[in-house]
Amino acid sequence: MTKKILAQAMKEWRLFRRDKLLIVLAVLMPLIFMSLAGLTSSLRLRNVKLLVYDYDNTPLSRTYIETYGAAITFRLVSHEINESPESALASGLGRAALIIPQNFERDARRGSEPIVQLMIDATDSNAATALGNMAQGLNASFGRNSGLGWTAQRQLAKLDNRLWYNPGLSNPIYFGTGALGMMLIIFPALLGALATAKEYEMGTIIQAYASSLTAAQWIAGKALVYVLIGVVEFVICFVLGMAAFGYHIPSDPSVLLVATLFYLFAGVFFGMMMGNATGSQSAAIQGVQMGSFLLSLLLSGYLFAIANIPVQIRWFSSVLPATHYIQIVRNSILRDVGWSTSFRPLIALFVLAFSFFAMNVIQMRKMQFKG
Amino acid sequence: MGAFIRRYLALATKEIQQLRRNPGLLIQLMIPPTIVLIIFGFALNPRVRDLRLGVVDQNFTVESRDFIDALTQNVNFNVTRVYSSIGPAENALKSLDLDLFLVIPQDFDRIVKRGQTASIQVVIDAVDANTAQIAQGYLQRAMEDYNTSTGAVPVAESRLRRVLSRSTHPAPPPGAVEVRPAYIYNPGLVTAWHYVTGVMSIIMFINASLVASALAVKEKETGTIEQLLMTPAQTGEMLLAKTTPVFVLMMVVMFVALGTGVLVFDLPVRGAVWMFAVSGACAALAGIGIGVMVATVSKSQQQAQLLTFCVNPPITLLSGATSPIENMPEFFQKLSYMDPLRYLVTIVRGVTLKDAPWSALWPSLVILSAFAVVLFSFSAWRFRKQ
Repeated sequence: MTKKILAQAMKEWRLFRRDKLLIVLAVLMPLIFMSLAGLTSSLRLRNVKLLVYDYDNTPLSRTYIETYGAAITFRLVSHEINESPESALASGLGRAALIIPQNFERDARRGSEPIVQLMIDATDSNAATALGNMAQGLNASFGRNSGLGWTAQRQLAKLDNRLWYNPGLSNPIYFGTGALGMMLIIFPALLGALATAKEYEMGTIIQAYASSLTAAQWIAGKALVYVLIGVVEFVICFVLGMAAFGYHIPSDPSVLLVATLFYLFAGVFFGMMMGNATGSQSAAIQGVQMGSFLLSLLLSGYLFAIANIPVQIRWFSSVLPATHYIQIVRNSILRDVGWSTSFRPLIALFVLAFSFFAMNVIQMRKMQFKG
Repeated sequence: MGAFIRRYLALATKEIQQLRRNPGLLIQLMIPPTIVLIIFGFALNPRVRDLRLGVVDQNFTVESRDFIDALTQNVNFNVTRVYSSIGPAENALKSLDLDLFLVIPQDFDRIVKRGQTASIQVVIDAVDANTAQIAQGYLQRAMEDYNTSTGAVPVAESRLRRVLSRSTHPAPPPGAVEVRPAYIYNPGLVTAWHYVTGVMSIIMFINASLVASALAVKEKETGTIEQLLMTPAQTGEMLLAKTTPVFVLMMVVMFVALGTGVLVFDLPVRGAVWMFAVSGACAALAGIGIGVMVATVSKSQQQAQLLTFCVNPPITLLSGATSPIENMPEFFQKLSYMDPLRYLVTIVRGVTLKDAPWSALWPSLVILSAFAVVLFSFSAWRFRKQ
């Protein structure tokens, strides 16, 4: 039984080894993709271009502008003298425009409340909301510092924040761990899909149907190689993560390792399922691209919290292996909690891997010659 | 000229017939725009709400309960449980049952009555830096409300007074500067508009490159490329004929995507539609160029597809379609100028949401068409060299 699986795996390995480009890609892709995914996906705003229209031009208005300039969120940019804020925003010269009215200082000193307008380009509504809130905060701090309108007031309570697990609020740490999950679902699944679809295209699948291997053995043998390649990628990614994204080896690495194996199997089986179902390499790739890459990228909690996904489609994220795996990775690497917390997602991963496997077996069995 | 047109038509007919025989490909091309746009338009929402808040109340007095009340009026927090000691709350945070918890000190009421400032400890699971930052902001604002509504009056009166003032937000004292944000282009702050326009552009580009590389390599794999190279047709004509059906299909896909956006998400189209079409055509050409180029360097469909898969994620991530370019590290920001998709995203958003003036869009359009011309002719050159 195991001998047959191993023999099938050896055959698969020899086929893989012959393709030099594949080997290069298998090593390069994790490196490129991890660094890109970890470093470019950030929802935290910095250096947003802010156009300033100061129609008052007094010491106070300049101090007000300085408050914005000092925040790392905003970067003040210049504009043509005659250009209206609307047209400047429409041409993308800035993401927001701060408009200070005439008599700003006079009104403030008199005690009537001058209104400063902040026009925000809301094409990206999330960023726009964040900028609006940021401006409110800056405005309040300007009020406190300049002593305008703020009667000395007693603070009853103040907040004392402890940011656990990620005290620097660093985004690369968060996305870096997610990127590991993204990386490990793409490549093994792709290889599985391609290898299976190729058998259909070349017609060699008939040999598998006719051989004495059972469907389960054939599938397990094929998958084994790609899972092992996945393990190598895991090691590469982890080393990169330690160098670039602050990974550290968890005090109990066993959960992570077991989860990685389940996850890789789930990915490869999913890919093979696509290969079996479509029987053509390009269609199988499209299937993997849609089914594992795009869906995992957007619905697995890699980019946006799962709690934000509408209930009608939230069930979708729980059938994505990436959802559970990313959670385990974050539990182990960042929170350093062990089996008790990660147990549920681990079971989910196992169930998913097993059901993908079962679907493969069912697909294969239909075609296999009965001896 | 007549001969050219004849040959071109003959080759294009051959391609169309091949495409007709391959309904799978047609489905691949037509289904994603609708399904993907609808799912992602509804699903992607980076707003943070319903944070699970735990409270460790070690004080257990009227004051502390008042305080909890004031903080949790905020709809963004759901108080899941009130604990009496820190241990269980810490465990709940560790096992992901809570997003954050507050600790109210034992002598909270005494400190407040004495006129000092009590400090409240907040422990936040900051693994997701973005959410943690937003949660901090919510708490800070709730805290300011609590301090302004309670701080100015003697503590004994606080409850009554707050009930009275609760109907409106505490007004800023006279003289304070007020900042009033105006959200233009998307005053309702519809999140879907941002993603729908982004995903639309991604689909245009990536589908074109995937399909083109698949078609170009297939000829090579089945060996029919030799026959093609022996025909009197020039390589340029051949490539043109080969890509025409894909190109036409991509244009259809683009308008299907726009239609979906308009019908399902009320996406406004404020600018010139021809601009949208021209930029889409350029992007499709650039995508096809990349696809064919990849096909020429690879030996099998497997290799070609994998290479496209390697090229596409960086193009997607750097384009600013899903996350703002300003947030990226300096180096990646510079790199994004090399990304044709970046310009398509700018134009698509400019045309649909912003009605951006011609002066703002033409540079992007010029660069995008330059990309299209360069990538396409380079791929033709590579194709000839085979």
